Amino acid sequence: MKKIRDYVDYLFKDIPESEKKDAVKEEVIQNLEEKVWDLMDQGKEEEDAVNKAIVEFGDIEDLKQELGSKPPIKKKKNMTKINLGYSVWGSALIIAMFVFMNFYYSPNVIWFVYPTFAVVWWPLTMYFRWLRTKENVK
Amino acid sequence: MIRSDIIRGHLDSIILRLILEKDRYGYEISKEISTRTNNRFQIKEATLYAVFQRLEKKDLIESYFGDVSKGGKRKYYKITTLGKAYLKEVVVEWGETKEIIDLFMEGL
Repeated sequence: MKKIRDYVDYLFKDIPESEKKDAVKEEVIQNLEEKVWDLMDQGKEEEDAVNKAIVEFGDIEDLKQELGSKPPIKKKKNMTKINLGYSVWGSALIIAMFVFMNFYYSPNVIWFVYPTFAVVWWPLTMYFRWLRTKENVK
Repeated sequence: MIRSDIIRGHLDSIILRLILEKDRYGYEISKEISTRTNNRFQIKEATLYAVFQRLEKKDLIESYFGDVSKGGKRKYYKITTLGKAYLKEVVVEWGETKEIIDLFMEGL
């Protein structure tokens, strides 16, 4: 019966360790052993019976999926609202800096409007991105 | 032996049906399937355990440890109320599916 245990160990080697994995493994071994005894009751040699049980077991791709050998794909969090908030605060700070520089160093020339236009694209873009995801959710 | 990919989609219902009759454990189920189909269809054990996991996750069956055989404790499966309701639905659906397929497969 060691052969069965070894075979099951081999089958499950790619599956990440978990309590569930061990439970299923125990169950599989228990049932395979039961099959072997049943086949032996029908007059098979132990070795034949073990081999038959192993051959008929099949491949465990489905089982792997159920036990999650691949990590489940994490749903991406909707970041657009946070991005929008960040861009609003960020551009406000930059614009404030330009305004300050403008009136502190060259109060006679109003030039802060030009960089402001450039910076405002940032929150605007984020705003429309946020609008788009909001529509998609609906 | 019949091609198993057609039956595949109905394995859940086949197994639920067997568990509905009485609580059963893994090997008993695979053996029962072979006997009832006269060995025309055999379920691979690997597939069987995948189905158990799936059904249990969906709360259609529950498991518990039962009597001890030569090897160890047998893990028995029991159908839940949800499982019974699900099976009932599937039976109706299968009836309809069969009618539709028969429309095209019969009389040739």
